[in-house]
Amino acid sequence: MTIAVCIKWVNYSGPVESDTPDERFAGFSFADQAALEWALRIAEKSADEVLVLTAGPVGAEAVLRDALSRGAHRAVRIDIDLTSDSSVIARSLVGAMSQARMVWCGDYSNDRGSGSVPSFIAAELNIDQALGLVALELPENANASFTAVRRLDGGRREQLLISGPAVLSVEGSTIRLRRASLKNTMSASKQEIQVITATGDRVETPALRPYRPRPRVTLAPIGLTALERVKHITDTSSSKGHGETVHAEPSVAATLILESLRKWGYLP
Amino acid sequence: MTDADIIVVGAGPAGSCAAIAAARSGKRVVLIERGPFPGSKNMYGGVIYPRILDELIPQWFETAPIQRWVIRRSTMVLSDTGALNIDYRSNAWGQAPYNGATAYRPDFDNWLAQQAVAAGADLICSTTVTGLLRDDQGRVCGVSTDRPDGDLTASVVIACDGVNSFLAKQAGLYPNANADNYTLGVKETLSLSKHIIDERFGVRDNQGVDIEILGGTSGVNGGGFIYTNLDTIAVGVVLKLSKLSAQKKRPEDIIAELKRHPAIAPLVEGGEVVEYSAHLIPEAGLEMMPKMVADGLLIAGDAAALCLAAGIWLEGVNFAMASGMYAGQSASAAIDASNVSAASLKSYTNRLNETFVLQDHKKLRKIPHLVLSDRVQHRYPAFVTGVVERMFRVDNPTPKPGVRRIVREERKKAGIKLSELVRDALTGLKGFG
Amino acid sequence: MTIWPDISFQDRIDTSEFRIHERAHITVNDDSCRGCTTRECVVACPANLFVPTSDGGILFNYENCYECGTCYLVCNKEGAITWTYPEGGFGIVFHRT
Repeated sequence: MTIAVCIKWVNYSGPVESDTPDERFAGFSFADQAALEWALRIAEKSADEVLVLTAGPVGAEAVLRDALSRGAHRAVRIDIDLTSDSSVIARSLVGAMSQARMVWCGDYSNDRGSGSVPSFIAAELNIDQALGLVALELPENANASFTAVRRLDGGRREQLLISGPAVLSVEGSTIRLRRASLKNTMSASKQEIQVITATGDRVETPALRPYRPRPRVTLAPIGLTALERVKHITDTSSSKGHGETVHAEPSVAATLILESLRKWGYLP
Repeated sequence: MTDADIIVVGAGPAGSCAAIAAARSGKRVVLIERGPFPGSKNMYGGVIYPRILDELIPQWFETAPIQRWVIRRSTMVLSDTGALNIDYRSNAWGQAPYNGATAYRPDFDNWLAQQAVAAGADLICSTTVTGLLRDDQGRVCGVSTDRPDGDLTASVVIACDGVNSFLAKQAGLYPNANADNYTLGVKETLSLSKHIIDERFGVRDNQGVDIEILGGTSGVNGGGFIYTNLDTIAVGVVLKLSKLSAQKKRPEDIIAELKRHPAIAPLVEGGEVVEYSAHLIPEAGLEMMPKMVADGLLIAGDAAALCLAAGIWLEGVNFAMASGMYAGQSASAAIDASNVSAASLKSYTNRLNETFVLQDHKKLRKIPHLVLSDRVQHRYPAFVTGVVERMFRVDNPTPKPGVRRIVREERKKAGIKLSELVRDALTGLKGFG
Repeated sequence: MTIWPDISFQDRIDTSEFRIHERAHITVNDDSCRGCTTRECVVACPANLFVPTSDGGILFNYENCYECGTCYLVCNKEGAITWTYPEGGFGIVFHRT
């Protein structure tokens, strides 16, 4: 079987003058490096094939060769514009990783990536996802299930039991990537990299315009004298706002809330 | 069977030219670079004189990533308030075959290394060579690196590992590294628009300027430089290591002071520091040069102290490229002759002796120390600018004094003995002449 | 008159890219430094990596090193500063020099 590792070619630092990184100042993020190391460690035990994938222009092959020199078995580059939508990138990656029993990704890339590609991949493959992992314990038997700790908001942690096919994204601090041996470094420059041209499907983005709430109907102030009418408009003591308490199942309650908001003109 | 015929350590100008020369003669060449890409560790004082490349890369100027062609060459002598500037301009230097060029070393060195790859050399980056391998008779037969399983064997190792050359030191070719023989170069790259640079320095298109400065280094023996890139300028100082620590002055403060000098400030004004850098320079020329050859080992470039820092001439990259090329050729010839002993590799030293590489150094052997001497550094700038100031000052109704009188008075004011002046003038005449 | 620098030292160092490795490629022998009165490294290091501590020692940092070699050359105490190149691929990376 195959263990897939998705890595992104990013600028390490310095001014970013274009969307395409300068090969000299680019590489792959610590998070992606950690993902590769975990995959290599599992594959050592299970005799799986490690397939590294990247989506980007020809310069991105540098990171694939780097990964090959560190022990990955096969490399695929999806020829695609780096500015493509995450869902498009995820779909094109999935198209090239048939039979993968596990997909490893970095949590998010150095270039302020959102970390959304891993979840898009999980959705495309329709398998489980375990994202933002901060600690893992690999089992002795590579095919057994294992536990991983995931970061939640507010410093909380979640323990996950991972068994069966899954997409995993890890933080860079979980493990340090091994160094490539000299011989592998020399041979990696001559290894073949498969190139797949991404299909041209684009995400349709609805036309964007500034948000304008619907007009709300406001009744004329009530009162005989001007003073009373002014008081009616400006008075905050008597509540004229909307208020309603509902007791319902969360899903029903959510629908009710949305309906009310729409009715009162707060939502389009 | 060795892993390679020739291992070149360091993909700077020396290493890449060695690799090109060796690969062209059909040798299996491995070029090892410790930085993530060639040029990533390199900085310099501004001008490359690439004519030596005519031999290796004809029409190099069509592809080399240069910033500007130097068509104005100035030498500036600074006193506390005054400046004497000798400025030469030749628009012919801006056309083929060209003279000097400014470039970013991470661009230029990378380009040169790619020429070596095109010639057939294997380039391995991100790999630090940690030592030399020797066979049972003590001859160099390869290198060890910091990678796992990182030993690599070869018939000849060419060490182009830069000014700190741990390989030459490990091979015992440097008797002792002495701080007196080195200067520290620190540099700021300042961002200015191309338009402003063109106007300030009186150039157009890709014409550039290089200014070498004597004085202005806050009393620390050394010199300064300013040169133009396309949309940045570089300003820096070169400081004698032994004096720097004795004077208790910080390098960046000395640059700041140079930038405030009334003659320099208008040139650098408004430039935002976009990069700071530092590097050592092997300054002492012939006096510090190591043995260049051992059994199975050659040394080239900064590692061999092939850097000319003789006041008005500041060259290094050209010596590196030439020595690297000759090293590559000699190593190939020695392998062809199946004899890589020091005696057989001696043809390298011979080539250096026959060409500008060592002839320039021999001719100018006394100049580096003269230029960095306390007299030239601390008294002559005030003396020279003082003389010129009085020559051009119009003190009417007082009549103009004779030049001889001015020289005598200014010499005394600067505290220079006539005998010293004559001796230095003779050294200079002999050295430069 | 105090003349303020046009750029703070930290800003100056921040203009350079350093790819930092976990292994320190400079080590300082604290015992040798305690007996040192001249402290050349403190003045000469262009990255200002050596800082004297109040108890007479030297605090050093290797992360922002330009790998020039000034420190070990100016140091007059045998073996006080051990200096190697950082791991391949790490350390200073120049862009426009």
